[in-house]
Amino acid sequence: MKIKRRDFLKASVAAGAAVAANGPTLNAFAMGQKGGAIGETAGDWKPSSCQGCTTWCPVEIFVQNGRAVKVRGNQYSKQNDGFVCSKGHISLQQLYDPDRVKVPMKRTNLKKGRGIDPKFVPISWDEALNTIADRMMELRKTGDPEKFLLMRGRYTYMRDTLYSALPKVFGSPNSISHSSICAEADKFGSYFTEGLWDYRDYDLSHSKYVVLWGMDPISSNRMIPASIKRFGDVLDNATVVAVDPRLSTAAAKAHEWLPVLPGTDGALASAIAHVILKEGLWHKEFVGDFKDGKNRFRTGKTVAASTFAEKETNGVVAWWNIELKNKTPGWAAKITGVPSKKITAVARGLGKAAPHAIVWLGPGAAMHVRGGYTAMAIHALNGLLGSIDNKGGVMPSAKVPVKKIPKYSKYQDELAKKHSKKQKIDQRGYLTFPALKKGKSGGGVVTNNVAQAILDKDPNEIKVAIGYMNNFVFSSTGTGRWEKALEKIPFFAHLTTNASEMTQYADIVLPCAITKYEKLGFLKTKANGYATCTLVQPVVKPLWDVKMDETEIPWLLAEKLKERGFSNLYDYYKNEFKDPETGKKPANGREFTEYSLKIMTAPLWDGKKDVGGDTIKGWEEFKKRGMWNSSHYKYKKRWGGKFGKDSVDKKTGKTKTKGTKTHKFEFYSETLKEALGKHAKKHKTTVNGVLKACNYTARDERAFVPHYEPPYRRGSKKRYPFVFIDYKSKLSREGRSQNTPWFQEFKHVDPGDQGWQDLLKINPKDAKRLKIKDGDTVKVTSTVASIVVTAKLWEGIRPGTVSKAYGQGHWAYGRVAAENYDAAVPRGGNNNTIMPADYERLSGSTARNGGFTGVRIQKV
Amino acid sequence: MNRYAMVIDLQKCTSCGACAIACKTENNTPNRSKGQTFNWADYIHEAKGRFPNMEFRTIPVLCNHCSDAPCVEVCPVTPKAMFKTKDGITMHNDERCIGCRRCQRACPYSAQDVDKDKAAYSVISFNDASSEPHGFYRDTKELIKGCTASGKEIAKKAGSLPPDHNRYSHQDYESVRRKGIVEKCIFCEHRVKKGDQPYCVASCPAKARVFGDVNDKKSDVSRLIKKYRPLSLKNNKGAFLKDQEKGTRPHVYYVRSFKARPSKA
Ligand code: SF4
Ligand code: SF4
Ligand code: SF4
Ligand code: SF4
Repeated sequence: MKIKRRDFLKASVAAGAAVAANGPTLNAFAMGQKGGAIGETAGDWKPSSCQGCTTWCPVEIFVQNGRAVKVRGNQYSKQNDGFVCSKGHISLQQLYDPDRVKVPMKRTNLKKGRGIDPKFVPISWDEALNTIADRMMELRKTGDPEKFLLMRGRYTYMRDTLYSALPKVFGSPNSISHSSICAEADKFGSYFTEGLWDYRDYDLSHSKYVVLWGMDPISSNRMIPASIKRFGDVLDNATVVAVDPRLSTAAAKAHEWLPVLPGTDGALASAIAHVILKEGLWHKEFVGDFKDGKNRFRTGKTVAASTFAEKETNGVVAWWNIELKNKTPGWAAKITGVPSKKITAVARGLGKAAPHAIVWLGPGAAMHVRGGYTAMAIHALNGLLGSIDNKGGVMPSAKVPVKKIPKYSKYQDELAKKHSKKQKIDQRGYLTFPALKKGKSGGGVVTNNVAQAILDKDPNEIKVAIGYMNNFVFSSTGTGRWEKALEKIPFFAHLTTNASEMTQYADIVLPCAITKYEKLGFLKTKANGYATCTLVQPVVKPLWDVKMDETEIPWLLAEKLKERGFSNLYDYYKNEFKDPETGKKPANGREFTEYSLKIMTAPLWDGKKDVGGDTIKGWEEFKKRGMWNSSHYKYKKRWGGKFGKDSVDKKTGKTKTKGTKTHKFEFYSETLKEALGKHAKKHKTTVNGVLKACNYTARDERAFVPHYEPPYRRGSKKRYPFVFIDYKSKLSREGRSQNTPWFQEFKHVDPGDQGWQDLLKINPKDAKRLKIKDGDTVKVTSTVASIVVTAKLWEGIRPGTVSKAYGQGHWAYGRVAAENYDAAVPRGGNNNTIMPADYERLSGSTARNGGFTGVRIQKV
Repeated sequence: MNRYAMVIDLQKCTSCGACAIACKTENNTPNRSKGQTFNWADYIHEAKGRFPNMEFRTIPVLCNHCSDAPCVEVCPVTPKAMFKTKDGITMHNDERCIGCRRCQRACPYSAQDVDKDKAAYSVISFNDASSEPHGFYRDTKELIKGCTASGKEIAKKAGSLPPDHNRYSHQDYESVRRKGIVEKCIFCEHRVKKGDQPYCVASCPAKARVFGDVNDKKSDVSRLIKKYRPLSLKNNKGAFLKDQEKGTRPHVYYVRSFKARPSKA
């Protein structure tokens, strides 16, 4: 073999190393053999935040010579202990995505539709903003500013300057968030039991029993790195049970996997509660006890409420009498497919571990047509176990004492005041959409119904729409309706990083700074008992002429509206957002961004008040650290009747309650009773009438307790024999990472999946019957549409059920995400295309779980 | 003398994917192409049993830094391009490599072409001699003309190829390898020599990966190997070496079980 000369020269140095390894070296560079330096080229770890999922990690990004090259968790963080998940790393390929929109674009093909080339051409920022401002001003001229719609997607807490202020000052009620397309029904469960309209924090480190219900904390949900870090030890210290119709990674690792029949989770929860009460396993310190200490909870027997003295809870006896007394494990086994022995074992295990037990309610169990009561039933178990606010249990977030944006009401003119109070476009508060956020009829958003409302022009027509960092045509179920609705809107501007599916319908496209790397803002997050405020910061200079969606663009738009004679928004931004340190008014969008961020976060760094947690001396230090950790949440903080608080409204003299009506943890929900009652009254009907309109089967008293509701299914078993299950990929950055090769390459870290594929998991028994082999192309058809994907024979799914991860099926977005961008050919199929638009109406949530979609599978 | 090794605690591993992607960000490995994965760290998955007793596990994989390394044995160059460092690392010298791919054929954990061989992974990948690496960032196609970028434009504007190129120096290997040579995990020696952990170890949120010196009885790797019954892989199909089997004397050890429940499959 011939060897090159330069190799020969190096030969002598190939063996021994000059510098001993292991142990930090003090010199900046270890000397290499050829006399060169060994090691990383100098750079800085710069703090920012990740928004790949709703964990919202404080992170640091390694920047070499102005380029972002690596990611890790913020070393100060108690929320992720300094680590990011896989998605945290993937984001680098989003920053350097070849398909980033680099300039504002204008549509030149007026015909809109899926697969129709918009024929975008580049334009200047000026032209783009002028066009939007002109279209908006027309609505003010004709006196109907409510025909303006602003749709929000992934946001930072800078959102209020755009999302809240802009439509309200302009005169439209229509700021529509994305919130209810993936998880609001979950909050319904905790609100109508413990008065908390929020996601909970879970004290994994100290728990003795953990039930993961309809979610996998190491793959998705809201504390991923924290869960990954602890999971191995939790398996040693606690019993872990995964309730999930499909084998998730958590289910694969757990002590017990309970593949419940989709949508029947409520029966399982009721039976567990039944056993806990019957066997006297509830946590007496929290729930109380029979006055004479004798357990009267016996199967089938009604109990007299007067015999029980409750402590921190309300209505345990009522719950037993109304719902639980006949809900035996034997009863539940038939419904859920989970053997009764296992149900009893879980109930006993939980009871024994109480109060250091976690029942972790996830969207899989809640986000379906009848999931509101399921969410309550599952979460109520934490009440029985006394794990609420307890060590090793379930807690709310500690407080992040930031401020709101300055008031804008004085900048609203008559037209704005009047029209911004009109009915919102999503039809929230209609009889069939109670959307009872925090107990208020129409209090929450019904995101996915906007498409229908636009098509029906009810409550009104939408003429001008802006969407930012959202992709409802892809991310909402019943995508076909969104395609039609967007075709209909006469003018739509999309603020985005990529030419996504939704962008294909835009008249004007504004290229946005990407969060984590190019934006300035802040987030509030939590995990491990600590609340966190973390800054999103521009760590690199954008390569393109992009702007920040939530602050810079509204500022520029405000300038344009001012040029057209409507200066209110500009005046508000200019006068109210002064630098809290210097009092200087913002001169441009960048200053406006920084000052509003300073105004909102000031309590954390201005040293005026002791807010607990990390001490941060000044704004510069805050930016340098990038984050603030709170003190640990105080266990049992709300015990002693503090699950609700009354206050008297000075104007009306009426008593208002924040949290639960009874100030207790409610098994019998007086809070829900009042909310449903008010909604019924508004529509001149009864609570039963409301429940009927919302597809619930419960009537009368059952409406006020957590209970089992039989699953609701779209498509008959005969025509659509399979039940379809949607799940979250470990690598999906909310449906935005599919254009990165790393997402595609490592898709196989989701059990049963393969790289670069979109696999429908089907049990081999079913596959055999249908003569489907591994890797066959199959058509999946629901009552609304079909997708064509690849079959994967998989024992991790129950016969009769098929499952597929959300994320693939992009027909736009970019060269990797789509099979063929030019021809609008998707890579795989979008789950949201086959899932019909339906709702958990009490919370306004989009139904996407619980197996509500019947499908049929055909080999093609 | 050091003898570096890695222990992977499967109970702690959640198959999250962070280590393999972190390795790509550290070592600037290209995207998969032409049957080469360029994943210096990767995973192999194993499913067995019937519903509902189905069992599933993931095993993170990388170069085993074998003591009897056939990849080194067969390397025809003198001195060898693939060689053992005195610390036990199977090192690759980019300059001396002639791209004969004998190492790739000899390594029991590698495949010449993962697609053709239907292999789950390959420790060694080959940079095709006919095209420059990182074709993704050389492509000039703009999806929307004049409006969206191209791979080439991004790389140019960022000033590096790939744009997220983590630059480092080492006497044997470049931070991006040239065409016509092989590449694989080198235990991040450019970091280890500076007293840092290999990047996959530093990035594992579960702390499932432990790196250190097995000759040091007090090191964490030694402690784990002593405490648990360590296993090593036999090939890239997920088979483990039996008790007496030495194989190529791999130095990546697996301890504990991925799943907590007893086997029913
Ligand atoms: S994707 Fe989520 S969990 Fe992962 S690093 Fe980002 S915010 Fe954290
Ligand atoms: S980073 Fe750690 S937990 Fe994640 S896959 Fe790798 S070894 Fe497993
Ligand atoms: S795993 Fe393969 S490449 Fe690595 S040392 Fe062993 S034989 Fe060589
Ligand atoms: S040791 Fe370094 S090169 Fe090897 S797999 Fe880990 S990160 Fe990659």
